[in-house]
Amino acid sequence: MSKGYRQAPSGSSDKKRKDGKRIAGKQDFGVPGSGGSNPYSELQDIERIPNSQGGQLEQPRGPHVHDPHITGQTIGKATPLVDSRWKVTGQAEYGDDIRLPNELVGRILRSPHHYARIVSIDTSAAEALPGVRAVSTGMDSVNRFGVLPVTKDEHAMAQDKVRHVGDLVACVAAESEEIAIEALSYIHVDYEVMESIHDMEDGLLDSENPIHDRGKYHIGESNVQKRVFQQFGHTDAMHDAPFQSKSDWTFAGLHHGFTEPHAVVAHWDPNGRLQLYTPQQVPHYVHRALSSVLDVPMHQINVIRTFVGGGFGGKSDPFPHEMCAAILAKKSGRPVRINFDREEVYWINRGRHPSRIQMEVYADEKGRIAGIETDALIDGGAFASFGHVTTYYNGVLHTSPYEIGGFHYTGARVWTNKPASGAMRGHGAVNSRCAVEVAIDDVCEQMGVDPMTFRLANLLPPHCRTITGFRITSTGMRECLDEVRKQSGWDDKFRKMPLGRGIGVGCGFFISGSGLPIHWDPENFPHATVHLQCDMDGGVTVHTGAADIGQGSDTAVAQAVSEVLALPLDMIRIRSRESDTAPVDLGSYSSRVTFMNCNAAIRAAIELREKVLNAAWEIIGYHPDSLVLGDRRIYYKRDPAIGVSWLQAVHKAQADTGSLIASGAYRTPPMGGVHKGAAAGLAPAYSFSAYVAEVEVDPETGFVRVIKAWAAHDCGKALNPLAVEGQIIGSCHMGMGQVLSEEMRYGRTGHLLNPDLLDYKIMSVHEMPEVVPIIVESNDPEGPFGAKEAGEGPLLPILPAVVNAIYDAIGVRVNELPVSPDRLYSTIEKQCRKMGIKDPLDLPNPSFEPSALQADLENRAKEHAHRDLQRDLLKDRSSYVNGVLFGFDPDRPLPEQSEGWRESVTPTPEDLADPKKRAARAWSHVERRKRRDDA
Amino acid sequence: MSAPIHIPMVPSDPMEAWTARVNGAQFTELAHSHSILLDVLRDHVGTLGVKRGCDMGTCGCCAVLVDGEPVLSCLTLAFEVEGKDITTVEGLADGHHLHPIQQCFADHGGSQCGFCTPGFLVVSAALLDKEPNPSEAAIKEAIEGNLCRCTGYQQIVTSIQEAGEMLRNGLTGEDRTEAASDPHPVGPDEPTLPPGDAR
Repeated sequence: MSKGYRQAPSGSSDKKRKDGKRIAGKQDFGVPGSGGSNPYSELQDIERIPNSQGGQLEQPRGPHVHDPHITGQTIGKATPLVDSRWKVTGQAEYGDDIRLPNELVGRILRSPHHYARIVSIDTSAAEALPGVRAVSTGMDSVNRFGVLPVTKDEHAMAQDKVRHVGDLVACVAAESEEIAIEALSYIHVDYEVMESIHDMEDGLLDSENPIHDRGKYHIGESNVQKRVFQQFGHTDAMHDAPFQSKSDWTFAGLHHGFTEPHAVVAHWDPNGRLQLYTPQQVPHYVHRALSSVLDVPMHQINVIRTFVGGGFGGKSDPFPHEMCAAILAKKSGRPVRINFDREEVYWINRGRHPSRIQMEVYADEKGRIAGIETDALIDGGAFASFGHVTTYYNGVLHTSPYEIGGFHYTGARVWTNKPASGAMRGHGAVNSRCAVEVAIDDVCEQMGVDPMTFRLANLLPPHCRTITGFRITSTGMRECLDEVRKQSGWDDKFRKMPLGRGIGVGCGFFISGSGLPIHWDPENFPHATVHLQCDMDGGVTVHTGAADIGQGSDTAVAQAVSEVLALPLDMIRIRSRESDTAPVDLGSYSSRVTFMNCNAAIRAAIELREKVLNAAWEIIGYHPDSLVLGDRRIYYKRDPAIGVSWLQAVHKAQADTGSLIASGAYRTPPMGGVHKGAAAGLAPAYSFSAYVAEVEVDPETGFVRVIKAWAAHDCGKALNPLAVEGQIIGSCHMGMGQVLSEEMRYGRTGHLLNPDLLDYKIMSVHEMPEVVPIIVESNDPEGPFGAKEAGEGPLLPILPAVVNAIYDAIGVRVNELPVSPDRLYSTIEKQCRKMGIKDPLDLPNPSFEPSALQADLENRAKEHAHRDLQRDLLKDRSSYVNGVLFGFDPDRPLPEQSEGWRESVTPTPEDLADPKKRAARAWSHVERRKRRDDA
Repeated sequence: MSAPIHIPMVPSDPMEAWTARVNGAQFTELAHSHSILLDVLRDHVGTLGVKRGCDMGTCGCCAVLVDGEPVLSCLTLAFEVEGKDITTVEGLADGHHLHPIQQCFADHGGSQCGFCTPGFLVVSAALLDKEPNPSEAAIKEAIEGNLCRCTGYQQIVTSIQEAGEMLRNGLTGEDRTEAASDPHPVGPDEPTLPPGDAR
């Protein structure tokens, strides 16, 4: 038997050429083999190979384009995160754990005022303090930055005015933390305090000193940062619908509550390049912002992402303190580390927007949703952050999963003198989703229909287009509802439990990756790129810019590569930390990483696989089409005894080129409408979820306890069920926190009262109920191996599920979150007064009498279940758009088929006539460039 | 409004020698009388696995064991534990053999972003040390001072239960640094041809 690649030991090379030089020796590879720590090699995991590839994995939804690349390695198996051992041994280095030689400690001076003009800053006393190495103010950095190119309104430090308590004014780098803090008290700042605004409705009014000045794009003299108007469908006719639910919601602002406070280390290396270590979700945006703020070309900057101690959207903006560290490091010539204390984390914020949402849901006599009318006013705080997008998301993300007759949305985001709001898990969709789902519950109550049945009878089918033009591909919504209905015992519990005990349902819909990247033309650049490198050791190094923030993106990308190449996971090495080595990636937000990066990784792996298979072809003489990639072994399909090891084939492939390189990229297909704002909410795939929550409410105290939650989420295909379940449970934890206890509380003078984890109530282990995670796999046609997102969507349904369960328990509708005992009790009191009841225990327990409509809807739900299955399996390939349920022909433009069907994104005065609407008032201002008041 | 009172931040008292056993090794460091244990462990001893989350005892990320008892190091003066035996997350593993609690957190999803993990690990290691078969209520009570924002605690509780099971069965975590034998040193009994020798 041949000894394969193992070559003669180096001793035999002790020969000399005629010219006296040594003949190159043949080097042994040391420990031979094909790598991996698993000593047992299975050829193929037949149970993980889909039916379509001759395996045993059942595919109820038909084959997928990636099926030929499933080798049975890791996809669908519960896989511990690839970096979990760093985390459990304390070796994971987070922002504050980066310690560089000769480093200084930086500290930031923050504004004590809500809104003030800076008259002067005197730093001389601070500079004179022994141990202080650098002091910097806004004068050192005049360039603007911001996460969205259209709204760059931040500076490293305040220029002319401070906009909220905690706004950055100056910073100091010193030999020790104590000296730095001491030095801050030596900086003398003269402020001229201005009148601040704290209520978001005040932001709609004209102001003498708007918080920002956007020049000719400024909306009047107001503090309106962004306004959105969208009107689609029968928006007039829906007002005549027989069943109407109107509610006015107040949602408190929220913080992400990640456990790791922000920290950053900046260092200008001896070659004059900036090395910035930061726990970031989106290192690329920091890279860009640093370049423009510091006036340094991007190639002179290396952004190194440390381990990230939780992000949830709160670490996805480029931050001013990152600029400060770079400026201080440049001034002092030494590395500078700035780490926040917990209070500072709340000053930088970027959490969920405090919102006031007016929600109207209309249903017609056939049990269809005649229309949804939403008015969302959101409080952006002092800066734009992601707010432009949030303003859209509050409306456009509730145009699905239901088929609706009309959609009318007015949204506005205003600046106030609070820490800036931004993106937080479930970005922009959470609050309005809660309002929609609760309104649907209310409409069902009026109609005498089970809310489960109502939802099942109004779902959009797979492969359709929503009312505003989003392209829905796969949807597992129906299965999610069926599962939670069955597992929670819904039919035995709904409206049948005693007073104080209730059950509720809610649904969710979220994007899986943003269709349009923020920063560039998608026609020219892909969204994600992944490079693979395979050297003589046979292991594969993956270069990606996707930021692992604990959600397991490194693991998902490693799994994708491991699956295609049939290598064990420990032969895949992820290098995702440095911008120097990683291809550009737009980072971890919008639930894009699994979808986009894994798709790019699969493409790269397929390219690499081809090279190795061609080499195997040369060795064993069988065409790659008849070869199978087993575990570290490539063999002939008909006779597994004929084959080569992975390493042999790799070495053969490397004979001419050395290291094997492959690259893959992903970009979204062209899709969506063409109206202004059509790209907001557009995604290559959407996730769906349905939750049921069971609660216990004490009517005498207003105390709510969630007993159990059943959480079904359609993530397309669970690449790693362990991580998906973790995301579902974690989302429930965060969502229940929002619904029951979490709130950024502002006092009468506008001060944040609870910038700490003692008063900002994150649920502890005692409050957290049991969550039953249910994974529904809809096998998305474009997702990697069929996968969609699982990180954000699972948060949405828990809020309405709990609120609806509270109604089922005591018959009281709340419309203010969080439902703290004091708030709920005052609502109960009001209800009692209205009904003339003295004892809250005498509140009537809601009951359910099905109307005639119930049977109709059950039948329709059954028909639609059949319709959906046919479309899912592509047996029915007819086009479907939102409106077909109302009798429209999907192949003709809808506005041509009905006089009343409208599609418009610019309001007429009549559209905004309702004086009770809040955000609509933002249109009372005329954009400055359109005012022509200079004429 | 009166002018704010200036409280000097730079300490004036001299540093003194502080001695303790950290993870089995004797450390002597210079510290102030008011130095916080968390700072001394992170900045002087170098156990950066002890995390700073809130500085006020609300998150539990900085938990360490002092003579086997969980203590929040951000609320403890270094000199309060002078001469005591301190265990941080770095001291749980036996060489490359992970402590069962570490192995189970890694394998059962007990750790997502991992920042709160060191706190959870030492607290639950202390629990399992006393009671290798804790009830769910006992587990919840043990970790009630620790906040986790990622997992929703469910997989943490599972991890602790699994670790108890391992401990009861006398198992330790695997050592991944040990050489693994290879399934195909030259391919398993296969009629391979020398490289490049096409059929």
